[in-house]
Amino acid sequence: MMRIGWTGFSAMVAAVTLAGAVAITGQGQAPAAGRQGGAAPAAGRQGGAAPAAARPAQGGRAEDGKPNLNGVWQALTSANWDVEAHQAEPGPHPEIMGAWGAQPGGMGIVEGGTIPYKPDALKKKQDNLKNRTLVKVTNDPHRFDTGDPELQCFRPGVPRANYMPFPFQIFQNRDQIMFVYEYKGSMRTVFMDKHQEAPVDSWMGWSNGRWEGDTLVIDVTGFNGHQWLDRAGNFFSDTAHVVERWTPRGANHLMYEATIEDPAVYTRPWKISFPVYRRLEANAQLVEFNCVPFVEEMMYAPIGLYNPPNRSSR
Amino acid sequence: MRNRMLRIASALTLATVVALSVAVVVAQTPSRPKAPPKTATSTDAAIEASAEAFKKSVELKNFTVPKKPWGEPDLSGVWLTATYTRLQRPQELGDKEFYTEAEAIAEYKKAAESDAEVDPRTVHYDWKEYAMDAWQGGATPNLRTSLIVDPKNGRLPPLVPEAQQRRAAAAAAARERDPAAGVKTFGNLYTRCVLGLGAIPLVRGGMPGADSAATAAGVTAEAFFFQSPGYLTIVMQSNNDVRIIPTDARPHVPGQVRQWLGDSRGHWEGTTLVVETTNFSDPKPATNFLGSTDSLQLVERFTRVGPNTLRYQYTVTDPKTWTRPWSVDTTMPKIDPSLIYEFACHEQNYGLMNVVTGTQIREREGTRDMRGGTFARPPE
Repeated sequence: MMRIGWTGFSAMVAAVTLAGAVAITGQGQAPAAGRQGGAAPAAGRQGGAAPAAARPAQGGRAEDGKPNLNGVWQALTSANWDVEAHQAEPGPHPEIMGAWGAQPGGMGIVEGGTIPYKPDALKKKQDNLKNRTLVKVTNDPHRFDTGDPELQCFRPGVPRANYMPFPFQIFQNRDQIMFVYEYKGSMRTVFMDKHQEAPVDSWMGWSNGRWEGDTLVIDVTGFNGHQWLDRAGNFFSDTAHVVERWTPRGANHLMYEATIEDPAVYTRPWKISFPVYRRLEANAQLVEFNCVPFVEEMMYAPIGLYNPPNRSSR
Repeated sequence: MRNRMLRIASALTLATVVALSVAVVVAQTPSRPKAPPKTATSTDAAIEASAEAFKKSVELKNFTVPKKPWGEPDLSGVWLTATYTRLQRPQELGDKEFYTEAEAIAEYKKAAESDAEVDPRTVHYDWKEYAMDAWQGGATPNLRTSLIVDPKNGRLPPLVPEAQQRRAAAAAAARERDPAAGVKTFGNLYTRCVLGLGAIPLVRGGMPGADSAATAAGVTAEAFFFQSPGYLTIVMQSNNDVRIIPTDARPHVPGQVRQWLGDSRGHWEGTTLVVETTNFSDPKPATNFLGSTDSLQLVERFTRVGPNTLRYQYTVTDPKTWTRPWSVDTTMPKIDPSLIYEFACHEQNYGLMNVVTGTQIREREGTRDMRGGTFARPPE
């Protein structure tokens, strides 16, 4: 355990050094930073003795020469409340939730500021906002008509999972890259090796990835159409096509960009972008956020299924 | 019946997906899906293929474990946790630890054929129509007569007194009221979509002859092992439960951080990955594995012993439940394709609503039966 006792900057330098060492031991090649030109990650240039035990490399290059995205990451935006620019607002139930439940303002992450909705879709977005806490548990698909999926502990979809106020972890090897999100422990696999059409619709979509220079480009399709982009009710449909671009800008941050195309909802494709930061705490790890038990009372009490019936009233 | 219904409800979502995963070819030719392989439609073909794979794995000698490019032994792929082998050795087998090869294949054949059979009077859902029987998914015979190898009799050690009291109290409460009458009292974590059917430990044993495939051997029992430098991440098909296992020997999270799947730490001993898991939560009104508590500690050992075989050993310790630790030694076969599908269970949990509603109706209609103990069952 090389990290214990190291703090702050020295830990970071050590990590960078180790990253280079791992790259060397991986394939017997010199650290490959900058091999592909472009915005190469800064890490990985330094050599150093090979570590005795394998430990996750940070930044730098993976053993196949691609940027090494392994690590715990998190976005620092308020886009989960509203991807468009928004002011601070009280949250639902301010009478008990006070400042805890209030939402922060923010500049938004939408390029050009506004989502280019078709008129009907804009109406639907406004309805979503109005009904965002209206949870309707039924045995039919109408349960997805109202209520923010996040409120009900449903999978968040992409790109929303990337800017929720929770960390996520990237696991990378040559053939596949896996994203695990702390929120609900939802995950997706990015297939770098064999691309295929989504075999079935899903919440997190189907991700086919490729490298363009040092940018990881991920094509996401196969959504089930229930996804919201934020708590403000912004949304897309099952015909959405999201293209994500993850570009390292240094050992400890990435630029994220996504183009969202959905002819059923928008008049044209539109873009979001924001930086994603590495969680540098020495003990950074995802902590379980299994929210199912947190929402059961909210979802099932109104239909009489949460508490067993009172016998005396029978 | 009740239990079967809930499993069905949860499994229905997956049915299409599982059908697809059997017809692997869909991946390559989405426009012309081919018929499923014979091993998914014929018990004879499946048993023959399993026996072949089993013989090959038994005969295999001098296997060199492949390595990942960064030097760690390669454990990656999708491994099947379903097995017809019982957790505990049947009493009549006494100290017989191993079957002969022929006996093992005969046991497998018996279990697979009984799994495939459905009783038309009680069947609500024929699992094999959805390719969810274990013989269709690549389960293999086993030389061992039980998963448990320690104690020597292949059986769980006795419960400590406080565990006996817990069990008796739960049974008494269930006689008084069916726990499924409300989500708040309903301890079945799978039906509630809180957890899948077994992420830790992975292999829990089967009950050949049980009338549901889930009980007979396990369903949606694929474990996706994703390896990256310094990590093994296991994603279960069931509920998509995720276990992130760092292999750099970092310390556990602080004691006050409790998790449904515990906190796992791994280290390599030669080609074996040893994983220690602690910090389990107290999942009331449910329990942890087999009625254990938040004092549960699990040590798992993963060793690749063949191209398609992963040896899986684990030791269970919980001083609040058993009088001594106990251990399992088994294997998991590798299956294709090497991917996992989304399992959005809670997102449309019709099963939970139907089960709770049904239980409430039965309670209203059957007060006398309840006092008579009709609903009594072993604690979950």
